[in-house]
Amino acid sequence: MSRRLAARYVGFIGFLRENGMQVASADGADALRVAEQSGQFDASLLRWNLRALLCSRAEDWRRFDGLFDAYFLPPNRQKTVETHAGGAGHVDLAGEAGGLRDSSDGTPLASAGGTDGDDTDGATAQHGASLDEALGQADFRHLHQPEELQALDALMRQFARRLRLLALRREQLASTGRRIDLARTIRRSIAHGGVPLDLAWRKPRTQRPRLVLLLDVSRSMSLYSFFYLRLARALSLLLTDVHCFLYHTRLIGVAEALRDPDAWRAQERLQLLSAGWAGGTRIGDCLAEFNEHHAGRLLHARSAVIIVSDGYDTGAPQRLVSALVGLRRRARRVVWLNPLASRPGYTPSSAGMQAALPHLDLFAPGSDLASIARVLPQLLQALH
Amino acid sequence: MTSARMHTVLTLQRQLQQLGYVAEPGLAATLLLMTAMGRPLLLEGEAGVGKTEIAKVLAQVHQTRLIRLQCYEGLDAHSTLYEWNYQRQLLAIKLLDDDTRSVAEKEQDIFSERYLLRRPLLEAISSPTPVVLLIDEIDRADEAFEAYLMELLSDFQVSIPELGTIKAVSRPIVILTSNGTRELSDALRRRCLYQYVDYPGFEKELLIVETRLPQMPLQLARQVVEFVQALRQMDLQKKPGIAETLDWAAALLQLGVSRFDEEGLDGIMASLSALVKTQADGASLSRVVVQKLAAAC
Repeated sequence: MSRRLAARYVGFIGFLRENGMQVASADGADALRVAEQSGQFDASLLRWNLRALLCSRAEDWRRFDGLFDAYFLPPNRQKTVETHAGGAGHVDLAGEAGGLRDSSDGTPLASAGGTDGDDTDGATAQHGASLDEALGQADFRHLHQPEELQALDALMRQFARRLRLLALRREQLASTGRRIDLARTIRRSIAHGGVPLDLAWRKPRTQRPRLVLLLDVSRSMSLYSFFYLRLARALSLLLTDVHCFLYHTRLIGVAEALRDPDAWRAQERLQLLSAGWAGGTRIGDCLAEFNEHHAGRLLHARSAVIIVSDGYDTGAPQRLVSALVGLRRRARRVVWLNPLASRPGYTPSSAGMQAALPHLDLFAPGSDLASIARVLPQLLQALH
Repeated sequence: MTSARMHTVLTLQRQLQQLGYVAEPGLAATLLLMTAMGRPLLLEGEAGVGKTEIAKVLAQVHQTRLIRLQCYEGLDAHSTLYEWNYQRQLLAIKLLDDDTRSVAEKEQDIFSERYLLRRPLLEAISSPTPVVLLIDEIDRADEAFEAYLMELLSDFQVSIPELGTIKAVSRPIVILTSNGTRELSDALRRRCLYQYVDYPGFEKELLIVETRLPQMPLQLARQVVEFVQALRQMDLQKKPGIAETLDWAAALLQLGVSRFDEEGLDGIMASLSALVKTQADGASLSRVVVQKLAAAC
């Protein structure tokens, strides 16, 4: 292959990367090999082969043809091409309702949960819940302001690491246990002429639960949403089996966007997903939506669901109850973190919270890292 | 004019269809590429779109054995790779009673290949001729198992503590499938070629029905496929896959339904259980809804 042609393919790898696909440098050499094998004159074959080689996710797969056309075909032969960096992945925007534009921009973490029990709590509560959905987009720059937030990130990573420690080997050797380790027992018995005098045991391990985070990002939660989103990102980057959804009047899956290793691209993708951020809340509806579309896939006997919300719900409490009952049936644990509960004298008096309480494994305060650190032992125990 | 390479792709596509699998040329090209490059292929897509079927039919194309490893939560290396034949080992120890060799030597004897029971992964790499190894629903297995697979997938070798590293006698053709229950690691994805398998479009699904149920009248087959395609647009908990389409079509034939009219509606209602698999989905398909759907086909 000529150097010019080789450069063209290497350029394509760079182009894919610029467009948000995770392509390793090592793929360049393979791409050249594939291009050589496919021949230069059969565009379809080249496309199929490069697609199989360079895509690794459904999201990449859907975008590949457009990117291939954009790079290799002359402009007049291109179809619709997505050139915007960082696709948002599959987002179900069906049922997107119109509503008043909301000016709330999301609040920098520095002012959100920096200190425990600051006087912003009262202000948050006053927002309450409303029916309208904000169509404005949240400002995710706050998700990655490097300097002031580094310390907080480190703490979150620590939290994630402690969670990771819950993952032990499925079955481990033990001095006593429920099941004999036959291989080892036999080895030890050779010296005794096959008499198993010295038994080796195995005991079952406990496993880290799958985490499903459902974060309320309605207006009344705006002071805390970014904090939890950062926590979700820290968890997603450190642990593999974390699934995060945001909800307000609708439910939006953001697991893939949060897991994006490129902070700025993650921010951009969240931006695309954030329509409706800081509007009203319909907790029951959103949880029901989760049950309907995602629970079958995500929840099993090892899943723990963490709901983060202040409990200000504009929907009917009965709806919330039936959704929670549905969740409880499928998941191992359902935990509710309420930022307002960190305030002294807080009682869960809102109708939503009252309705939800009997159906939770743990109800705990959590307005910032300090309060989460305080309930961490309880939380870890509940998640186990 | 088609190039020689394209010709090979189209030949494979035809071959697959003769064996009852309708594939796009893109998939055929990927199957050729995976054998050419010796890389595993990760097939991702909703349940019921025919991922597992690809491995089965590929084994037929290559006229080789299909070794299937069905993944589940808690699957560990032992049950997928090897186990020791404890009964035979115990017997052997008894027989070694009078043996004057040292304990270490006896131990080496007891933990030798003679007492090894091969499980799917070891079986696949020990086969003298390449087999098709299907690692089905890898997303159901734990991350630990996924990590354990890396060595096999990139170097085609496995490590057994008592025996050391065992290299593949022949390189198996590896197909992994995933329904997307759990996010797979980047490391695993990087080692594989990738193909996303979507629900088929109308023409393709019709061709599948025609291929699998040649006795079905064309008009009925069209209506069946149109009905299923419309159903997939609905907000169902469990969308019907290709297997469901085929089951349903067969059920309709059994019930003697020949047309989607008022007369056939009873048969359609009676056979819906072949198509929808949850109580909620069944409840959402009332007679009126089905009537409307059927009328539009």
